[in-house]
Amino acid sequence: MFVSLASPRAGSALTREMSRESLVILAERTRPISSSQTRLLPVAAPLADLFPDRSLRRGSTIVVTGTGTVGREGTTGGGTVSGEISLALALLAQASQAGSWCAAIGLPDVGAVASHGLGVDLVRFALVPRPGPVWAEAAAAMIDGTDLVVLCPPFPPRPAMARRLIARAKERRAVLIVVPGRAGWPECPDMRLTIDAIHWDGIGSGEGYLRRRRMTVTATGRRSAARPVQQHLWLPSPTGSIEGTASTGGIMDAESTAAESTAAISTAPGRPR
Amino acid sequence: MDRLLVVRCPELLEEDEGGAVLRSFIRVIGAVETYCPWITAVRPGICSLPARGPARYFGGEEALVELIADVTSGITPVEVGMADGLFASVLAARGGLVVPAGGTREFLAPFPMGVLGNPELAELLERLGIRTLGDFASLPESHVLGRFGADGVVCHMVASGQSGELAEPGGLRLSTTGRRVDQLRNGVPAAAGQSGFWGGVSDTDARAARALTAVQHLLGPDSVVTVRLQGGRNPGEQARFVTWNAHETPDTTTIHAPWPGRIPPPAPASIHTVPLPAELIDVAGAPVTVSGRGLLTAIPSRLSVERCPWTTVTAWAGPWPTDERWWSRSRRRSARMQVVTDANAHARLLLAERGRWWVEATYE
Repeated sequence: MFVSLASPRAGSALTREMSRESLVILAERTRPISSSQTRLLPVAAPLADLFPDRSLRRGSTIVVTGTGTVGREGTTGGGTVSGEISLALALLAQASQAGSWCAAIGLPDVGAVASHGLGVDLVRFALVPRPGPVWAEAAAAMIDGTDLVVLCPPFPPRPAMARRLIARAKERRAVLIVVPGRAGWPECPDMRLTIDAIHWDGIGSGEGYLRRRRMTVTATGRRSAARPVQQHLWLPSPTGSIEGTASTGGIMDAESTAAESTAAISTAPGRPR
Repeated sequence: MDRLLVVRCPELLEEDEGGAVLRSFIRVIGAVETYCPWITAVRPGICSLPARGPARYFGGEEALVELIADVTSGITPVEVGMADGLFASVLAARGGLVVPAGGTREFLAPFPMGVLGNPELAELLERLGIRTLGDFASLPESHVLGRFGADGVVCHMVASGQSGELAEPGGLRLSTTGRRVDQLRNGVPAAAGQSGFWGGVSDTDARAARALTAVQHLLGPDSVVTVRLQGGRNPGEQARFVTWNAHETPDTTTIHAPWPGRIPPPAPASIHTVPLPAELIDVAGAPVTVSGRGLLTAIPSRLSVERCPWTTVTAWAGPWPTDERWWSRSRRRSARMQVVTDANAHARLLLAERGRWWVEATYE
């Protein structure tokens, strides 16, 4: 694939000239046609440990569910309440800041201030609040043109439809983040993030106010990600962003070393590799 | 009305079974796109693009028309023209004309009624001695509405240059074709590096713009929105939804001024565009309300949203009374309260107004 460089002989002007020429050809060949040529998209540091590449893999599908989502019909009003949307928005943030376009389909109530607080660049954030019966077509169109698509299907998707969207994301090298809510998602994703152990802090019986929410996110995936990985998070943190909790090694930032991150992961027991 | 450049390919107006026509058409679109990324496929053989920016860049409208004609004529015979609005632009393209801005009415005046694509109306008007768009446009609009109804008014507005496009389904825009062309075209990678010419449009932005336009074709122009932040007291006021428009660069300024009485951060991730009715009761099952002094009448014990089963309230904060627009007749007295249920797992922002509770936002 690559141009083979002439064997480097230091000091030879001719060789250097040739190398430079080959380098130009090489650069031309590897020049990205668009940014979609890169394989990975960045993800917020506190979430990175959940993913085998510490980033979002292009072409993959991620399903985000809360513990109460399955079989919750009629138990709580007002759509999802377990942090799925917050987590989905948090997944967008880093890539969005890096210049990727993001889309949210079927989320009529998404909070702009919260999205902004989590780090989503609102300039490159397109919403299709009410896609109606053609939601799958709208999602397919968005997959064609944006790097990350959050989809909350308004109706239960048929397996064939779900498969088509997964295949589309793979082909177009987008990341499809599904928040199934009550509609469900019939297909097995590349990665499943399950939210658990949610607890709001800072509020009492008529005193204080909602300050931050602790949650545990468990990631299970295929192949290299088959081993479940757990991460304790503040989502949102008191400032509306996302942070790792103190119990998992404190607030981690982009500079946190690999050793710290490894210490921060607590793996779920029981599943043999 | 938009200043539009229209490329009309007379040989590509009828689709064939093999799809060769559509493929040639996509090549035409691709060629035009090298110069402007915002192109729209109107129907097989006709595509349009907003011309204002490109015309400025390429040294005038005539120059742009010539340039586009040059780059596309190698693929198929083309007719290129420019005018205000799609209807006039297509007619201008047929004559290869550039109709000056604001000159639509004069330009359209000599055309026969038939061009409006409404044979019934044309026949009726012809019997009344009205044979051209100019004659039709000179009729008072109120009379047109009275005699010919809403359809007639749409045609009248087009004829008089007030509107750029006939309403569907009699109009020019066949959305299914546009959609199919867009889908096919999205399979063809955009010409790399050609789109960053003006307005700082990057490849990524152009690709996204095409996808967003495709969704607008599918669901209507208002279906795709972006959000802007603004000052406001309650979460709903702090954001403004703006219909996405390919021709506008979004305004990126955000306001960070403090707003007194604002609910403290973090902000809720779900703000219900239509508040959800809720009921809040105390231990005895009696409804909890906010008194005139802004205090709760009892300690809340259970919450039900949208008539779903009761959940136990484990914590709450507030109420915080708001008295908005106290100077005007649209005065609103209300109170907000954060309520947490299910062992501190689920949090909501409740609004009390006129003795009733609503879920205004969910800390999703």
